[in-house]
Amino acid sequence: MKLRQNLRRSVLVTAVAGALAALSAAASADIRIAIAGPITGPVAQYGDMQMIGAEMAIERINAAGGIKGEKLVGVKMDDACEPKQAPTVANKVVNDGIKYVVGHLCSGATKPASAIYDENDIVMVTPAATNDAITAGGMKTVFRTIGKDSQQGPTAGRFIAATLKPKALAIIHDKQSYGQGIADQVRVTAEAAGIKPVMFEGINKGDTDFSALITKLKQAGADVIYYGGYHPELGLLLRQAAEQGLKAKWMGPEGVGNKDLNAIAGDAVEGLYVTLPQDFSSEPANAALVQAFKDKKQDPTGPFVLTSYAAVQVIADSIAAVGNDPKKVAEHLHKSSFKTPIGELAFTASGDLKDFKFVVYEWHKDASKTPAQ
Amino acid sequence: MNEFLPNFLPQLTQQLINGLSLGSIYALIAIGYTMVYGIIGMINFAHGEIYMIGAYVGVVTLTALGAASGTLPLTLVLAGALVAAIVVTAAYGWTVERVAYRPLRGGPRLVPLISAIGMSIFLQNYVQLGQGARDVSVPPLLPGNLFSVEIGGFPVSLSVTRALIIGVTVVLMIALTLYIGRSRMGRACRACSEDMGMARLLGIDTDRVISFTFVLGAALAAVGGVLIGLSIGKINPFIGFVVGVKAFTAAVLGGIGSIPGAMLGGVLLGLTETFASAFLPTEYKDVVAFSLLVLVLLFRPTGLLGKPDIEKV
Amino acid sequence: MAVQEPSPRTAATTTTATTADSTLPLKDAGLAAVLTGVLTLPLLGNHLIIDGTKTTLVTNYVPVLIAMALVFVVRLLRGPLDRALAAIPRPRLPAALGERQGLWLAALVLAALVFPFVAARGAIDVLTFALTYVLLGLGLNIVVGFAGLLDLGYVAFYAVGAYTYALLSQYFGLSFWLCLPLGGLLAALFGVLLGFPVLRLRGDYLAIVTLGFGEIIRLVLNNWDSLTHGPDGINGIDRPTLFGLTFTKRAPEGHTTFFDFLGIPFDSQYAVIFLYLIALALVLFTLFVINRLIRMPVGRAWEALREDEIACRSLGLNPTLVKLSAFALGAFFAGLAGCFYAARLGAITPESFTFIESAVVLAIVVLGGMGSQLGVILAALALTLLPELAREFSEYRMLVFGLVMVLMMIWRPQGLLPASRPRLELPQ
Repeated sequence: MKLRQNLRRSVLVTAVAGALAALSAAASADIRIAIAGPITGPVAQYGDMQMIGAEMAIERINAAGGIKGEKLVGVKMDDACEPKQAPTVANKVVNDGIKYVVGHLCSGATKPASAIYDENDIVMVTPAATNDAITAGGMKTVFRTIGKDSQQGPTAGRFIAATLKPKALAIIHDKQSYGQGIADQVRVTAEAAGIKPVMFEGINKGDTDFSALITKLKQAGADVIYYGGYHPELGLLLRQAAEQGLKAKWMGPEGVGNKDLNAIAGDAVEGLYVTLPQDFSSEPANAALVQAFKDKKQDPTGPFVLTSYAAVQVIADSIAAVGNDPKKVAEHLHKSSFKTPIGELAFTASGDLKDFKFVVYEWHKDASKTPAQ
Repeated sequence: MNEFLPNFLPQLTQQLINGLSLGSIYALIAIGYTMVYGIIGMINFAHGEIYMIGAYVGVVTLTALGAASGTLPLTLVLAGALVAAIVVTAAYGWTVERVAYRPLRGGPRLVPLISAIGMSIFLQNYVQLGQGARDVSVPPLLPGNLFSVEIGGFPVSLSVTRALIIGVTVVLMIALTLYIGRSRMGRACRACSEDMGMARLLGIDTDRVISFTFVLGAALAAVGGVLIGLSIGKINPFIGFVVGVKAFTAAVLGGIGSIPGAMLGGVLLGLTETFASAFLPTEYKDVVAFSLLVLVLLFRPTGLLGKPDIEKV
Repeated sequence: MAVQEPSPRTAATTTTATTADSTLPLKDAGLAAVLTGVLTLPLLGNHLIIDGTKTTLVTNYVPVLIAMALVFVVRLLRGPLDRALAAIPRPRLPAALGERQGLWLAALVLAALVFPFVAARGAIDVLTFALTYVLLGLGLNIVVGFAGLLDLGYVAFYAVGAYTYALLSQYFGLSFWLCLPLGGLLAALFGVLLGFPVLRLRGDYLAIVTLGFGEIIRLVLNNWDSLTHGPDGINGIDRPTLFGLTFTKRAPEGHTTFFDFLGIPFDSQYAVIFLYLIALALVLFTLFVINRLIRMPVGRAWEALREDEIACRSLGLNPTLVKLSAFALGAFFAGLAGCFYAARLGAITPESFTFIESAVVLAIVVLGGMGSQLGVILAALALTLLPELAREFSEYRMLVFGLVMVLMMIWRPQGLLPASRPRLELPQ
């Protein structure tokens, strides 16, 4: 009796072990590309831009016959833009035997994930993470189809110094790789131009009541305020600043350029300055592509849609050129140039784009943007 | 001194207003924690989620009534949102107690706590399933200031939403104090928190009192949720946790089990956070808030207004 | 069930009909369905979306109607359903395994040892993750299960361990094997420092202080940018080495990789297996230490204190010292777990140490059966593996997780495998 009981339990144990083994999915014949970014969480809007851009590229490549007959398959993975979840996602990519990643999106999440990809020879192309450190580690398989903070920050800093000419500049950031990284760059540029910020302070992501900080800004007499971070916090800052009657010009990086900002802050967004990647959706060469997005009722103007499209495309082009081998693909990426919707792309030895342009836009209360003067 | 005053006083006044409105919300939610603890000695971890549900129901109603488009008078829309939030959230409070806590009554102390944590996780994910994980927002419905005066070149303003938060909270606190002090149900509540067994022997339907406690706590949290929806204007399914922990801190600060304590604790915590934010780097405000909690508990474990509990053999 | 509902009703305060009290099944079910409708209408029936710059509602009443119908049917058939359920023989969970616990542990250990050599990489990875929670569960079990101290900030010690290794490795290049004991000891030191002032508090106050402490640690890690890199955490933490051999593709300076040493090609599978074996060894070490300790006077003192503090004091036990020892030891194992966690992921952030982690570990201890080590192990495996297995249903998995916690407390509040005290019985 006792023996039989034992037997039954060991069957149970074996069953659990078997189920575990089944976790690791069998490899399929198609070429899989993981699209890793925030599907949930407060900045999932940017994940949407990434997903629609990448999926459009996959669709169009497959419609044109795939890569030598093999179909591309996009596998969506959610990191919620959290540095905590990113290594888990990266390990899952490794475990599932996926060789190419488009992502991650937020710099904080991209950093820990990229180390894991590099170690396992997985090609990662991020369409959105701008922090300089991501490509600074000498990793061979890490690329990005967007600029760096050290390109974007000076653009913003010079604009502040030359055009806004602040009496008192305040810089606020959300303390994350992306937000603080760019805020540091803006500070350096502003200081080089002889403007010393009266305030340089971090806030915690997810906070909602900034009224005390606004009062402090009022006290400091800030007339230009740069915010390094994402739109949920900036929306609240703008809203509460308007409530307390703080009159200042605000500016932020591309992580705030989103319609949701208007939904939170209402009319208070009018006149916000944003540095964004140049909007390529208005280029005549992209007319057919833009139309394809519009046919699917998708918006191609988001800052990361076309960079994601380009990320998939450079991977696909390289596979087509040198075969389905991530090491060779990485080598090919380093030495070739690619014609994409965001222009002719070529990568440096570190995996950055050789040339990338950020433009200052003015944001309006109907969520439209116009180039700033 | 002359230099100091005009620069310092207006800023202080403004921060006082900021702190009071923040503290009011904490106080509204803290009452739910403190009443439940006072009566059944349980930390209702799901209370933060109840507040979050209140905020969602409020925003859904505001949107459904077309608050932004202005087809109905604003007062009517606001009243509608408040009533809907209170009714639905109170129903949640009642159901949660009924489903997750009542069957456990009389068991070991840890058991309802785990159940409450489970309930909190459940509710958070349930709302996420229904509403998505993203932020949703309400445009500023009550823009403008109640007053704005310039003191020494520094504009001190009290916005309509913040005035509303403070006003509604004060009115509710007075009403609650009167109700608990004067009404039949209030007396029953106090009796139960004094000695549950004895109250039962004296003919008080203790189950009903406990249900009432949950309903009342949920209703107050719902008001807090709607007010936050109006003033902050951005909600997501995760807002309940942080505010819940803060409100709970407030309840402990004031002395858990004591209703005036929860009010005091809420306001005190709001002010502490605001002033920490004003005079230290903003990021450290939560550290200060929690350190205050630890210090109070170390030197006055029963909180500011709590009764010392007697060790029974 | 063990928990009785104490509800002697009196005539003076007969309730207004609540659904459960109603005698008419149809009316009762109807009321429950209406209540469900009220509850779900605003949250499941109306979906808030941001359309452009405006927030709008999308209404879909199907989920509301489904929920109402479901509740109606279940409530209506409650009587027959209950009877039918009662008729099904319940799989009897053993009340206590008693002396056979040891046998079961041995079987489990054997299975765990063979496992990595037959399983796939993903499965090993998941199980390694689960073992971290086993370690945490066993550690907290000392504090909550044996000593009866409710600790809601256990994650703080986990964080201390993780950051100890991450920082020492980052700034001083210390190895995992040196940092492992250091992390444990430092966490234990934190346990003593925290425990000394707060352990005179009883019951819930202790729970609250520990919760506050846990949050403070996380917030300090989050804000002390110059040391901890703030919310980004620390990346590129070295993996453990085997006698100086690394499991990386390229050897860092002054090291040889495991693969070069054996002359085999690089395969990250080995690294995964190695990490798994470390986790297993840590768990076994913990089990061994705890099993020794609970038979020693200090272990007996923990349990005595849990049962009756006043009696203990009258018998001359120093409660502060006894509590402190439990607290520090629990913290020590959390520190070990933290060190291992940092080494396994190679990247840590303060976000990894939120209150919810404390709650999950506490749930493991309570679900497993307080004070029962096999129970804690099973609960840890269940609570970490099931959500991983259910990753495909990721939207529902945390929902179900919460629900299971509630239902388990209702159906089996004493835990999966309640602890049994070592005892001797006189022959009749």
